[in-house]
Amino acid sequence: MNSTQGCKQLLRLALLATCLAVANVQAEVVVVVAANSPVSSISRSDVAKIFLGKSRRFADGSRAIPLNQSESNTAREIFYRQVSGKSPAQVKAHWAKLIFTGRGQPPKEASNSAKIKQLLTKNTGNISYLNLSAVDDSVKVLPLK
Amino acid sequence: MTAQVKGDDGQQQAPITPPRDDEGPPSLTKLLGSRISIVQGIFLAMVSVILIALWLTTLQLIESSFAAAKINASRATGELAHTYEAQVVRAVREIDQALNVLKRSYEFDTDQEMLALIDDWGLLLTDFLFVSSIADAKGNVTSSTQAIVGTNIADQDYFRAQVESDQLAISHAWLNPASKTWKLTFSRRINTPDGAFAGIAYTSVDASYFVSGYEDAQLGQRGVLGLIGTDGVFRVRRSGEKVVSGEKTDYRQLIPDAEALEEQEVRLFKHSWDQVQRYTLATQLYEFPLAVILGLSEEEQLQASVALRRLYLQRAGATSVLILLIAGLVFYLSRQLQRSRQRILDEQVSHAQRVEYLAYHDGLTGLPNRSYFSQLLNRGIGEAKRYERRFALLFLDLDRFKIINDTLGHDAGDELLIEVAKRLNQALRETDTVARLGGDEFVVLLPEMNEEAQLSAVARKVLSAVGQPFRLAEQDLRITVSIGISVFPGDGEDEQTLLKNADIAMYHAKEGGKNNYAFYSEELNADSLERLALESSLRQALDEDQFVLFYQEKHDIHSNKITGAEALLRWQHPNLGLVLPHQFLPLAEETGLIIPIGKWVLETACHQAVDWIAQGQAPRCVSINLTARQFTDAHLLGDIREALQSTGLDPQLLELEISENLLLSDFDRGLDILHHIKALGVRIAIGNFGTGYTSLSTLETFQFDTLKIDGSVIRDVTREDSDRQLTEAIIAVGRAMAMTIVAEGVETREQAEFLLNSSCDQVQGFYYDKPSPSKRLN
Repeated sequence: MNSTQGCKQLLRLALLATCLAVANVQAEVVVVVAANSPVSSISRSDVAKIFLGKSRRFADGSRAIPLNQSESNTAREIFYRQVSGKSPAQVKAHWAKLIFTGRGQPPKEASNSAKIKQLLTKNTGNISYLNLSAVDDSVKVLPLK
Repeated sequence: MTAQVKGDDGQQQAPITPPRDDEGPPSLTKLLGSRISIVQGIFLAMVSVILIALWLTTLQLIESSFAAAKINASRATGELAHTYEAQVVRAVREIDQALNVLKRSYEFDTDQEMLALIDDWGLLLTDFLFVSSIADAKGNVTSSTQAIVGTNIADQDYFRAQVESDQLAISHAWLNPASKTWKLTFSRRINTPDGAFAGIAYTSVDASYFVSGYEDAQLGQRGVLGLIGTDGVFRVRRSGEKVVSGEKTDYRQLIPDAEALEEQEVRLFKHSWDQVQRYTLATQLYEFPLAVILGLSEEEQLQASVALRRLYLQRAGATSVLILLIAGLVFYLSRQLQRSRQRILDEQVSHAQRVEYLAYHDGLTGLPNRSYFSQLLNRGIGEAKRYERRFALLFLDLDRFKIINDTLGHDAGDELLIEVAKRLNQALRETDTVARLGGDEFVVLLPEMNEEAQLSAVARKVLSAVGQPFRLAEQDLRITVSIGISVFPGDGEDEQTLLKNADIAMYHAKEGGKNNYAFYSEELNADSLERLALESSLRQALDEDQFVLFYQEKHDIHSNKITGAEALLRWQHPNLGLVLPHQFLPLAEETGLIIPIGKWVLETACHQAVDWIAQGQAPRCVSINLTARQFTDAHLLGDIREALQSTGLDPQLLELEISENLLLSDFDRGLDILHHIKALGVRIAIGNFGTGYTSLSTLETFQFDTLKIDGSVIRDVTREDSDRQLTEAIIAVGRAMAMTIVAEGVETREQAEFLLNSSCDQVQGFYYDKPSPSKRLN
């Protein structure tokens, strides 16, 4: 790798870090489950797998049911970028393929964060994401390993 | 040295050729064209078979690889197309199902909230991809899973299609201005309870949804996946990452027989929209106005085979080169081995040929030599005897060759012989054999000549050919040849006799004046035998002191006193007794023996003259005859001087007698010699006068001391007037020129008296005394 490419790479990393920092300041998105869920932590890749229809279980083998924020919610885009690095269009194309080939259905959508929290408490298998500001005692924030 | 050899019984004897040119780089033709042994042939055949097998196998592997790739591509196209068809059918059915739910619900209950309710029930397609809406009979959107309520869609094709009929309608792809993506809309008609048009239920989805199953792993970058309306318009089409909508195509070309219920065949053809050749399967759906198409790029599908083909060809090529190199090396080495063996063989053969050639040919001229000629002659004799044929032999001897050899050198002599050999070959026929027996002797065998006229013609031809001028040692010269001819079987029936007789005839030709030819005859033989014996005896005579000098006195005719003596040569032969000069001098003259003999005579006579004085005799002159050859001999003057010096004889007491004939051949030169002799103080006499044609001017030009009248002139002087008158005239002339006049051969008293009266000075002859060995003179 030559020096020009090295510089570009560095610059890109710096920019990404800055973006994330800004996003975190504006809207820090966290992965959440029901407060009484036995799951206490999860890896980023497991989260990505569950939300992209590649896995339906937690690491302990229990059933995982992903819940999406509505498309208009910025937390959704931030979340997908964080865990899978995919843009909304890429996420959509991914699901289009799964749906078309009959290999999966996208996560259910909840119209807002309150609805999410409500659904989480109904089923401990549910997993979703929230703006940090929307987190309360009803949910448990899962630190990403 | 190149030698052309005349007929060996009509067969050409190949001249020795230099060893073949085996050096230099071996050309292909040389490698393949020249002798190839059986082993080498088998080796070449084996290499060829191996190469052919290698290439056949390679080509077959390539062939089968391509065949397999084609079958695989075709099969994969079929399988993928069927899967795709099933996916499309299911996806469209799902959409139709959801639309039917909406349609039935709204026909049952026109509540505007029905959509949201159904959505909640989970009966709608996921709004992740699909937007489901309801429009009333006027095209106003009354409810939707997205905020598009209030817009009017009355002009859209999916709306207008439902006004007419009650079937699933599929729109053309349309561009969503907000998302810049192509959409497809599916619609169903909503009826009033009495069946009138009440509006539509419709759902929109990205056109790309229907090609989202495109897998690079299966379809590559240039495969094709597509959805076509039965109107021939592509709803969507994807190759690699490129997705296209709305293109019109030739539907009939893609689906030749839409009604065919059997499975369509996979076809390979070039697609009109991107000119890519693909294995293609396009199928019209049974229940929807749609067709699906799936194609695999031929180039991509055969890529592996192409790469494999390149690999195989490279390997086969490399292997071939290796095999050829090894084979070439082995072949080259074997050729080298063979060639060196051959060379050794050739050298042995050529050496043997050369030895044989040298043994049978004259090294100088390349003509057959004596022993080869002997074989040829014996063979000729054998054949002539068997078939009762005659043939002739020519024996050639160059005239004056020895002189040329002595004066111009041996190199010139050799050159002359080579040239003569060449001319002989040119003058004679192929079937004639020319050989060199040695020295300047050549012999010719004429196998088919026997008529004397023919042979004379051949001989003349040879004389003429040899007689042409030569250019030798930077001067032109002529040489002549003398030819003797003998004919089988008349002149001899064996080799030796034929050769000897031809030789005898040749000598005869030489005696006859050279540059001539002669046929052998019995008489010649007799002469010749005597001659041969004489010649060898003459040589012996000189060595063994068999020569003696007799002296005949000369008398003053008046006083009768002895004035001198003429030395006369005699040969005291041990068997034959005394041999007279006319019997051997011509031969001595011819063979050149006269030179040493003449020198001996000169010395002996001078000695005798001195002895006489020493014995107290009155000094008297001794006279000696010179022959023609002696006279022109270059050493004559030296010999005379030496004889005088060694004996101390007064030159005035020596008289040299020359015949008047000697001056006839080359007068000026003769005169020159005479002057030189005279300068020594020696007297000179002209002898045999009256027998030749000496003009008076000759006598006037050179002052002879003595004039000797020939015995034949005075023999009949007493009986014939004419002789008497001639004698008187000679005497008168001699007197007038102040010469001493001597008459020879005086045998009778009458002659003596006549001479006395005629004022002759001196006389000699039998009348006075007979020649005798050295004796005391009174």
